[in-house]
Amino acid sequence: MPDNIYLPELARVVHIKEEVAGERSIKTFRIEPVNGEAFAHECGQCAMLSIFGRGEMMISIASSPLIKEYKQFSIMRVGRVSAAFHELQVGDVIGIRGPYGNSFPVDDWRGKNLFFIGGGCGLAPIWPVITTAVAQRDYFKKITVFYGGRSPRDIMYRAELEKLRGDVDLQLSVDKTEDGWNGYCGFVPANVMDKAPSADNAIAITCGPPIMIKFVIQNLHQLGFADEHIFTTIENKMKCGLGKCGRCNVGKDYVCTKGPVYSWAQLKGLPEEY
Amino acid sequence: MEKILGKKQIDDWIAALSEWEILAPSVEDGIWAYRALSGAVRLDHSNTTQPPKGLSFPQREVFFSFEQIKGEPPRLTQKMPTATRRAVFGVRPCDGAGAVRMDMVFSDHVADPYYQTRRKNLAYVGLACNKPQGSNCFCLSVGGSPVATEGMDVLMTDLGDRYYVSAVTETGKALMAAAAKLFAAPTSVDKKLVERTHADAVAQPQRAVKNVDAVPAKLKASFKSPLWEELARACIGCGVCTFLCPTCHCFDINDESTGASPVKGNRVRTWDNCQFPDFTMHTSGHNPRESLGSRLRQRVSHKFQYFQENFGMPQCTGCGRCISECSVGIDIITTVNKVTEHAG
Repeated sequence: MPDNIYLPELARVVHIKEEVAGERSIKTFRIEPVNGEAFAHECGQCAMLSIFGRGEMMISIASSPLIKEYKQFSIMRVGRVSAAFHELQVGDVIGIRGPYGNSFPVDDWRGKNLFFIGGGCGLAPIWPVITTAVAQRDYFKKITVFYGGRSPRDIMYRAELEKLRGDVDLQLSVDKTEDGWNGYCGFVPANVMDKAPSADNAIAITCGPPIMIKFVIQNLHQLGFADEHIFTTIENKMKCGLGKCGRCNVGKDYVCTKGPVYSWAQLKGLPEEY
Repeated sequence: MEKILGKKQIDDWIAALSEWEILAPSVEDGIWAYRALSGAVRLDHSNTTQPPKGLSFPQREVFFSFEQIKGEPPRLTQKMPTATRRAVFGVRPCDGAGAVRMDMVFSDHVADPYYQTRRKNLAYVGLACNKPQGSNCFCLSVGGSPVATEGMDVLMTDLGDRYYVSAVTETGKALMAAAAKLFAAPTSVDKKLVERTHADAVAQPQRAVKNVDAVPAKLKASFKSPLWEELARACIGCGVCTFLCPTCHCFDINDESTGASPVKGNRVRTWDNCQFPDFTMHTSGHNPRESLGSRLRQRVSHKFQYFQENFGMPQCTGCGRCISECSVGIDIITTVNKVTEHAG
């Protein structure tokens, strides 16, 4: 940690990709430090991003810790700061501080089957885990990625996902189909039930809209997954990232320091304040 | 170090502290607060309206300024507080206890450099409460005491025409040593009198949170109690309860722009408030604490359950300000007692 925990480092935007267009547009930004080395992070951790004059926001780091040159963030245009991010051009300089929060216990999952279940922009927080697992492919048994969007145009990381085929069993879905879509049509939890993965020696990692997570977990229970083998991330409004500003707590825990990664066994013991 | 100081000599003591900025209770527009001393010190007040927490955690402070000329990287300039040594006279034990809890928050996990710089240069010269300062005092029931030294550098006890002055920390000893000639050794009469005064102070009747040790578990069991909405119904969400609380530390961070081209401005920390709906509202509009009851529950549970679970003590120090200053009569003692009573 730096001496001044609130002072961001400067980072340059080196690449911008429009993932999803329209009202709920998502852009992916790659950033590199302006001075020195970027901080190291672990899968699932977040960073506080700044546009000076507009403010800060907490965003999950969407690139594998194995990638040292840049960090990637996928940002939906929703509020003041995210809208300002969507106006950025390559070469612009932003602020970043972090990393914040805990991480997915990826090393504990060696020798297991991994099931990733994502919906919408919920692919971003688990993307570092997926890509790290693929980069260390021999450590894991079967890797399956369930991912769904509202329509084919809402599928983020489309090209990157397609490249994973072979290493992973890719199960894409859309809520509403369009011409040219050959994959599953229906909600993500239904797709999971349709493929009915075995809970044997398996870990499920899910992230997406709260309603999706709710049904995914119900379905995972039906398939025999134990609470401690189901992992998800939660989000709350954050300002400091350091357990001091007081707003992201769920019960006694500040999500910014104790979260965002929880097993369902941990999460079900906490009040529903997220 | 325990000494006697004649009441008339307290201004001479303060005059001898030339290396210190002196703050003491003063009244402006009917509001008692700790302000820079001008003239003679007045310690004949009941507790201040505002606790001294703003001295280490100001209501608004600039973290750094930024300037960004188009096409160039932003220039950031840190605004660390100046390390002025400040001695605060007349701090009451509930606020000393409050400072200890603030210290925990701002040093836990990682240290907050803005808070720490101010705090380590602050000395609290406390004043014991020989009797409760108001009808809503309840320090005894939350693990405190009207004569506690927690958080103090010096504790003074009023013995009529003189103060019994005890150094609590090395800083406190240094403050007293700066005017050593003014202090006399306490006689056996003084020692007996201060003992009796303290015993009497602790024996004074106060309002009480019932069985505070059992409160965390009972609050945990009462998370879904309908009482929260019922007890919060009158709340107008003004937030005075937390702004005047000696331990409430929640804050916001925002950019205040003073120019658009080049982009210029300050990143600023301001106090924030768990009683405001947008405190927890996500950008999507979803709000984990949408109702008045959920926000009252947060304030009370943070004080009496979450802080206890994280730091091993209640976060409330029993000053009673949130009760006395609430314009609709929401009462944290009644709230805790009612909710826990129904938890069985």
